Amino acid sequence: MLSRADRTARTQRLIVVSLIGLALGFLVVIQLRSQAAVARTLAAQDDTSVALLINDLNRANNQLMQQSAALSQQEAQLQQALTAGGGDAQAIAKELTTLRVVNGEIPVHGPGLQIRIQGAIMDFELQDTLNSLRNAGAEAFSLNGYRIVSSTPIISRGQNLEIGGHTVSTPLVLNVIGDPEQLQPAADLSASSLQTRVQVDIQRKTDLAISEVITPRPLIYAQLGR
Amino acid sequence: MTVLASVSLATFLVTGLAATQFRSQPLPPSNRLARDEALRQSVNQLEDQNRTLKARVQTLQASVKATEDESATRSSAAQQVKAQLDDEQTIAGLTAIHGPGVTVLLHDGSDPNDPNDRSLGWTVHYQDMQDIVNLLWASGAEGIALNGQRIAPTTAFHYAGVNILVNNGNRLSAPYTVTAIGDPSALANGIADPDQLAELKSRSRIYGLGLSWVRSTRLSISAYDATFLVKYAQPG
Repeated sequence: MLSRADRTARTQRLIVVSLIGLALGFLVVIQLRSQAAVARTLAAQDDTSVALLINDLNRANNQLMQQSAALSQQEAQLQQALTAGGGDAQAIAKELTTLRVVNGEIPVHGPGLQIRIQGAIMDFELQDTLNSLRNAGAEAFSLNGYRIVSSTPIISRGQNLEIGGHTVSTPLVLNVIGDPEQLQPAADLSASSLQTRVQVDIQRKTDLAISEVITPRPLIYAQLGR
Repeated sequence: MTVLASVSLATFLVTGLAATQFRSQPLPPSNRLARDEALRQSVNQLEDQNRTLKARVQTLQASVKATEDESATRSSAAQQVKAQLDDEQTIAGLTAIHGPGVTVLLHDGSDPNDPNDRSLGWTVHYQDMQDIVNLLWASGAEGIALNGQRIAPTTAFHYAGVNILVNNGNRLSAPYTVTAIGDPSALANGIADPDQLAELKSRSRIYGLGLSWVRSTRLSISAYDATFLVKYAQPG
């Protein structure tokens, strides 16, 4: 038989244990809810992606506005010649030159970057670099004496790279023409991943010459029209 | 007294800890939702603007082309240059083409929901597109499109969360269809080569990521739906 004092002490101990249990339970619940919220915040990495998307869309829309302005100007020039009674071969020739630059068929020069890579890299690493630079507005590329356009295949062959069927080996010298201010961050980002294995040196150039050209392949299978 | 002291001490500690927990809670859900909503609205507005601008560019392109055609009828010099221009436009992807080829199909696999696997290997990444397009060029493709978007000389692939962005803000999402015109056998053999796309093929086996291809006798690819601006590369 327990005495009254013993029962009181036991009740008090039970109350203390219960209180601590309740408090711990409360804390566990709070902790779990907090973790779930963190998980949702992580899932909301979408915010970062959406922010990147907004940045890209802004840039694309600016590009489209510039394209509209250039096309309007071209149209006005052509119309002016037509009104004067003739065709404007010069206005058409200007567009022809732009396309030859884009297609890599004529030598070009301009500001840009020269990226020297001392060491072997893989095809996908060069592709990633070119892709980043294109996103940053690069207009022309050459690598170790070969012009590169988007349809130029890049394949790893052991320690070497094959650029459009031509083997190139280290050191690699990638010339890029474009706005150096825009190109530099893209080049730095690519370099930061490559520099763990190879030495990368990036130099800004005020006038870089790319004399290499591409001869377009004739279409054998493709026919014009849908 | 001892018991009371114990209760007081425990309550103090528990209250302190609880207070710390409350202070470290993230933003209330309502704030997060409002921020997400604002970001989504911005994307919608920019995409509306993007569509309007693209339509404007396409209208202007058609108008310029009509005027160039008219110019070519008025002057032999213009006619000569126009013929060269047509060739360059074809090379640059500004002309729709059709012919035999291969269609490569890709879709996301299953999320393993494995806390030890945070590789996102089950999703199709923009680098996968880059690799496939490069391999198709290497296998002799004469024209390529990704979900209907022509791969032009200036095309770059960009990461945008679960989407891939190409050609002036076109947001593409899985499933992806890569259409390539060229020799169907050469293109299919290029994709089937076990030494090529090894990492993608491995992810296909592990996560059920979809990768298949089919030869066709007739495929068609749209023209690139914008124009090219060259600001820094000067001829010569």
